[in-house]
Amino acid sequence: MNGPVVALDRVTKRFAGHTAVDGLSLAVPRGVIFGLLGPNGAGKTTSIRMIMDILEPDEGEVRLFGERGAGRDHSARIGYLPEERGLYPKMRVLDVLVFLAEVKGVSRSVARPKAQDWLERLGLGDWRLRRVNELSKGMQQKVQFISTMLHDPELVILDEPFSGLDPVNAQVMKDTVLDLRRRGKTIVFSTHIMEQAEKLCDELCIIARGKKLVDGALGDIKRTRGGHHLVIGFDGSPGAAQQVFAERGLVKRVDDYGQYAELELAPGADAQIILQRLVASGARLSRFELMEPSLHKIFLDLVGPEAARAEARANA
Amino acid sequence: MRKVWAVVRREFVERVRSKWFWVTALLGPLFFGAIVIIPLRLSMSGGGAKRVVVVDGTTTGFGVRVADSLAQNRAFIIAGRAVPHAGLLDSLREEVGAKRLDGFLIVTDTTVETGAAEYHASNVSSFRHIEELSGVLGRLAVTTRLERAGVNPSLVNRAQLRIDLRTRKISGSKTTGETSAQSFGLAYAMAIILFVVITIYGVNVMSSVLEEKTTRIVEVLVSSLRPFQLMLGKVVGVGAVSIFQFLIWVVGGAVVLSQVGTLVGDLAPPEATAQQAAFQLPNITAATIVVFLTFFLGGFFLYSAMFAAVGAISSNEQEARQAQQPVMFLLMIAYLSVFALSNNPGSTYAVALSLIPFTAPIAMPVRWAVGNLTALDVIPSLALLVGGTVLVTWVAARIYRVGILMTGKRPNLKELLRWIRTA
Repeated sequence: MNGPVVALDRVTKRFAGHTAVDGLSLAVPRGVIFGLLGPNGAGKTTSIRMIMDILEPDEGEVRLFGERGAGRDHSARIGYLPEERGLYPKMRVLDVLVFLAEVKGVSRSVARPKAQDWLERLGLGDWRLRRVNELSKGMQQKVQFISTMLHDPELVILDEPFSGLDPVNAQVMKDTVLDLRRRGKTIVFSTHIMEQAEKLCDELCIIARGKKLVDGALGDIKRTRGGHHLVIGFDGSPGAAQQVFAERGLVKRVDDYGQYAELELAPGADAQIILQRLVASGARLSRFELMEPSLHKIFLDLVGPEAARAEARANA
Repeated sequence: MRKVWAVVRREFVERVRSKWFWVTALLGPLFFGAIVIIPLRLSMSGGGAKRVVVVDGTTTGFGVRVADSLAQNRAFIIAGRAVPHAGLLDSLREEVGAKRLDGFLIVTDTTVETGAAEYHASNVSSFRHIEELSGVLGRLAVTTRLERAGVNPSLVNRAQLRIDLRTRKISGSKTTGETSAQSFGLAYAMAIILFVVITIYGVNVMSSVLEEKTTRIVEVLVSSLRPFQLMLGKVVGVGAVSIFQFLIWVVGGAVVLSQVGTLVGDLAPPEATAQQAAFQLPNITAATIVVFLTFFLGGFFLYSAMFAAVGAISSNEQEARQAQQPVMFLLMIAYLSVFALSNNPGSTYAVALSLIPFTAPIAMPVRWAVGNLTALDVIPSLALLVGGTVLVTWVAARIYRVGILMTGKRPNLKELLRWIRTA
């Protein structure tokens, strides 16, 4: 079966007064790390909740593993970590893990030894008979991972997995995600922190105000969305570089830090001309580099304040 | 189904493991025993014999007869007989105030004529003493009047033979040997137990829902189970705990009841034996147990569904406590009507209460315990209860489904109705 593991087909969800997700389509291929990116309130959690069958879409369809029916019918094959996490505070650690596996459809006799293994692996072996509320916050986070991964799911869905994690657990989370991909699992995660997405994602989808802005492989997006970006470092005096930056025929936009500047070239402009002009202007350069834009930059271009103003103009 | 079973199992095991469960299990029979025994024991003994003075304002010797007659009575100790003079009542009041005396009885010549007498005491709410006093006064007044009319005193004595009315309940067409006190006791005990247990375990369901909501674990759960499955598992699990609790109580209660005779007998004077009979275990038939359990289960499911919805729309304990008020109120209606129901189990009010699903779980078992009802009386009530439970559960499940994922402000009635329509 080579079809997408997760497929959303023109899915829409409305709440009283606003549309949280608006005609969203996306496809997550098998064995990738897929990032669902967007600012707060973009509809990431609502989309994930529809994938998990916690909410029903008003329109459109969710398909998992190429079959009809969303998360609940496949719960034994999916590991889900919601954004807001919680465990039963008064239950014993091992009992919580076994129970959460049981409701996913895993039998007690399978779940118990697996839970013990995982607790040992993450250094919580001695805590298995303690109550959850006796554990530190970091330990509870580990227990929560275990409950997501315990049943060895084919598809792992993580809603803001790094939010609130201490650095040690963030590292454990990152390693677990990479290990899962090595073993051929599919991971979908949402975040609004682009640096993380850039390091981890194979594929991604950026949404804002419930609509998809762009999706595809990270490399493709960078190439097509990037335009030409130039990073310039000055060695001492920037000379009359400001005048060069101000030429609209060459530079579309500049982000000037004084000793350092990021330029976006005007359409058709040649970077070599800029280099000549800068040298001629008396600037001493320590760095002159053509590069792809960061995901952060692409993201801001798509959903930042300028993009919002542009959309407002288009709607007016 | 296996998923529902996992929820049932968790609710049961976690609750039965808690200290709270065992405290309730062990103290429950003592608590119910105390509710029934203490008031009866107090009213029976009335705090023991009363020391009284008879203020004799009669000129015919009637006061002497009253004092003699009361001296024979175990409920009173006659501290003396006084002829009224200035300042007497004030000094008697001082004696009562200093607790050297419990009270004084004033009889005058008009007592015989009109029946008017006065009893001043620190406690005038002990029914036993008041009844004894008016009994003695009434009998003596009648005797005196008859004698004055020239009736032979021995004839008067014969005519005044006391009536000993024994009540025996007819159930079906068999006499059960059950007294009216016993059948009222049974009805009252059933009402208390139903009310307390439905409340305790309904609130348990509510706090369980609230716990899953406030810890946010509910999101993981509803990604694996349908909200209805979760609610069902929870209600069945908590229900199973309550049945288990009953079993412990039945065993514990049987032990306590078998000791009641001794417990009450200790303090009760010998003439109280008639009242003591009320403490023998009432005649509980298999049919009564079936009615009790059936209506308990119906009531439990009905109210648990409502409590689950209350938990789902609240985001903390305080909110839940407020939101549960209307549900508690519904349950109280039948509980507060126990006296009306048992005094007149056939009245329109009683029949109506036993037909309305919200009051039937308490009203029907109470009527059953005191009235002479057949299956034909029970079936319509049960049918309506089952129908009502299904409907209420359906509505509650829709509120539950939306509510458990909501945070922030509690929905108002209009929003609730929209949830029910669109969920």
